[in-house]
Formats: sequence, structure tokens, C-alpha cells
Amino acid sequence: MILPSFEYKKAQTIDEALELYKKYNGEAFYLAGGTDLIPLLKHRLFNPKAVIDLKGIEELKTIKRKRGNLLVGPNVTLYELKENPEVKENLPCLFESLNATSCETLQMRGTIGGNIMQNTRCLQYNKSLEWRTARGFCYKMGGKTCNVVLNARSCFSNYCGDNAPALMTVDSKVRLAGPQGERTLKLEKLFSGDGKDPFNIKPGEFITEITIPLKETKGAYEKLAVRGSIDYPLVGVAVTVMDEVAKVGVTGIGPSPRLYEIEKINKKEIDKIAGKAYEDAKPVVNAVLTPAYRKKMVGVLIRRVFARIEKGGSR
Amino acid sequence: MKTVKVTLNVNNEKVKLQVKPYETLLETLRERLSLTGAKEACSLGSCGSCTVLVNGTPMRSCLILTPEVDGASITTIEGLREGDRLHPLQEAFMEKGAVQCGFCTSGMIMTAKGLLDRNKKPTKAEIIKTISSNICRCTGYKKIVEAVEEASKKII
Repeated sequence: MILPSFEYKKAQTIDEALELYKKYNGEAFYLAGGTDLIPLLKHRLFNPKAVIDLKGIEELKTIKRKRGNLLVGPNVTLYELKENPEVKENLPCLFESLNATSCETLQMRGTIGGNIMQNTRCLQYNKSLEWRTARGFCYKMGGKTCNVVLNARSCFSNYCGDNAPALMTVDSKVRLAGPQGERTLKLEKLFSGDGKDPFNIKPGEFITEITIPLKETKGAYEKLAVRGSIDYPLVGVAVTVMDEVAKVGVTGIGPSPRLYEIEKINKKEIDKIAGKAYEDAKPVVNAVLTPAYRKKMVGVLIRRVFARIEKGGSR
Repeated sequence: MKTVKVTLNVNNEKVKLQVKPYETLLETLRERLSLTGAKEACSLGSCGSCTVLVNGTPMRSCLILTPEVDGASITTIEGLREGDRLHPLQEAFMEKGAVQCGFCTSGMIMTAKGLLDRNKKPTKAEIIKTISSNICRCTGYKKIVEAVEEASKKII
């Protein structure tokens, strides 16, 4: 598959990347590992004038420990982060979600920033231009309908990132840089809930740092997928237990991951949250398994993760 | 159209090229350098048949723009042999019959090379985990795993 034509620019600093973005009047995409972006471009879902490579920016590649936090550069690869001793030791939920992401080779290329910013997916969206033209464009492609749910008023594409829910359960924050300056927000605030435009970012903004509080945690990640490797979560459940409080992140259904909290962990509370997450999940016929099955698996996976955590993480 | 000048070290040979800014490394290797060992199958990063080593790390060349890897060392299946001797992985794949249609083979071997470079004596479970990065639709992976095990015994 041939890529559409665009210019390639490599930025050496954050400011240079923002300058380039302005120079192309916003008709540019930032490139990190490219494992999400390049297939989207090949399918002609976007046609930017330029691609701005962020991999030359040294400060985006580091992992530092500072005042009880792990400061992770967005261009750290998923594999590097997985192999980090702090992650292995203190953040079992994140370790498992990283380990469950795609496959080893793609983990060595894909970055944590890019993985968080992964575009939402739909069986009717991630297709070639020819296929989509024959079918007719949907909301997410700039059309006037949803091709999955008749008369729907919004886009039901699924956020399929494995690691954002895990990062949300450990209270991570992201710092963004953009043409209008810097800002920091809780990771869960990054998601808009709108499948057409799934992120609360202003034009030209990109992640410059991910802050993960370092505390001793217990946790695990469970994922429903058809294949054991190279597959997106059809449902993903991340749970972290910290100071007797459990946080539950659910991904794979709907345009943004959802976060729940259990203040006192016992069977009744786990069942209550599993029931709530089941109710909140609104899957439609846009993934490779049936909506009814995926919806049911939300509750099943939540109970399964808690059962595993109780057993010390083992399966 | 503006082209981009890049210098690559492909299989220990320095090459200077002028490429399209939107050209993938796979296209450069296959179409400019006639190194057709890396294959194009899915073209979306799902299958691994285009895997090559970039600075020693196995990567999908269909997802990499050639300008991104300016200055890098690239190893393809063609660069694995030393003189007249095939790499132990290549020999083991032949001995164990780990090839049927052969389309996935170069990607499998390059992915396995990446594993053996960082872990000389991988367990069977580690081999399976690494090899699951690549799709084979003929063999059922059994002989591929055996071949990688065999090669790991030969590499000291």
C-alpha cells in the first residue's frame, strides 16, 4: 500500500515542532512510532501536507524519577517502559497492559505517548478509501451518518488503547505543549467522549510528559481479544489497588476509557462496580465480536481481575 | 516534489539515496536496492513479513518512513550470511523444515535474530512470545519454534 504524498520534517526541539505545525497552518501530523499513524495515512483517512517527526527531541525520550513520581517522556517505547524496573516492581497493572499491547516487535517501535493518543477504531472506519467511498462516508470521515447505528447522532467508534486505562488507575497526568503554551491535565480529562474527535486537545498540542505517581501498588490487566498477539482489546479492564482503594479502568468499548473507584474492597462493592460498568458499556456492531458478548465480558473481566489480584496476580 | 537525501548502512554497505519523503523503508529496500527478502503482505504492521533490523532492533519496515531512519544501520535477511556460511537461523529453518510457502520466513528469521541477539538462550515460552509478532498461515508455528530453539543451541 502506497502512502499519500506529504513532506517529512524532523524537529529537534519542542519549539521547532510547534513552529513547523504553524508553518503548515495545522495541516500537519505529529509522528512518533508511527504504528497507528502510518496505517491511517495508508488508508487515506488523513491527508496531511506534512508529517512532523518528534523522535529527534531528546527530552521526550527519557524516564526520570523525581519527587516520588516517574516522569516518562512520550517517545519512550512501550518495550522500554515495560522493561523499566520501577514499572515492573511498583506498577503491575501498567506492566501487564504494556505486555498485552500488540506484540514485542511493535512494542519496540510504538511509543507510550502515541499509544495514549491512538485514534478510535471502527470496523466501518479503518478501511481503504475505495471501500469507504463505496459504503459512503460516516461522521468520523466528515459524512452525515453513522454507518453502524441507523439514525445515530454521534460516533460509536471504540478507543482501543491498552495503556491509558492502566495509567488512569494510578492517577497519571499528562503535560501538553501547544501553540498557546503548556498545560497539565489528569489523563482521564484528555478524552472527550466523542468518537469523531476523541481527544480534548487544541490544534497543534502534543504530549510532552507523563507523570506517574510512584507508590507500591497491586494490580492487573485483563483483555478480551480474538488473538493472543497483535490485537486490539475488544474489552480491556485495568485495576490498581493503592492504600485499600481500587481504581478500575475500562477500555475497548466506546470512544473513551472509563474510570471507576471502589473505596472499600469487598465482594459486594466489586459486584456493584461490575454492574455499573456493564450498564455504562454501550457496544455496537463495530468490532469483531458481538455487542452482547462484549458487554457481558466487562463485568466478567472486572471480577476476574479482582480475583487475580487477591491471589497475588497469578492466573 | 521535494526529495530527501538519506544515508543508510544496509548490510554493512553504505548507500546514499534520494528518496520520496513518504517512501517506506520497505519500498526503498525492495524497489531501490533490490533487496526483496523483506516482503509486503498486510502493509499495515499486523503481519511482520517486512521485519528488518534497524540498529539491531527488529522493526516493521512497512511502517517506517525512510527519512526517519537516515543514518541508521539496516540488516535484512540478505545480510545475515557470513561469507559462504548461512546464519545458524537460516540453516535451522532449512533443517527443521520451518518453511512452507516461505512468505513469512524472512520476517520470522529477522524477528528471531532480534530475540537471540538480546537473549542467547531463550526458553520455549520466550520464543513463542517473540515469534507471535509474526503471522504464518501455513506451518502452525511448531517447526518455526523448533528451528529457533535449534539455532539458539548453535549460537555461542
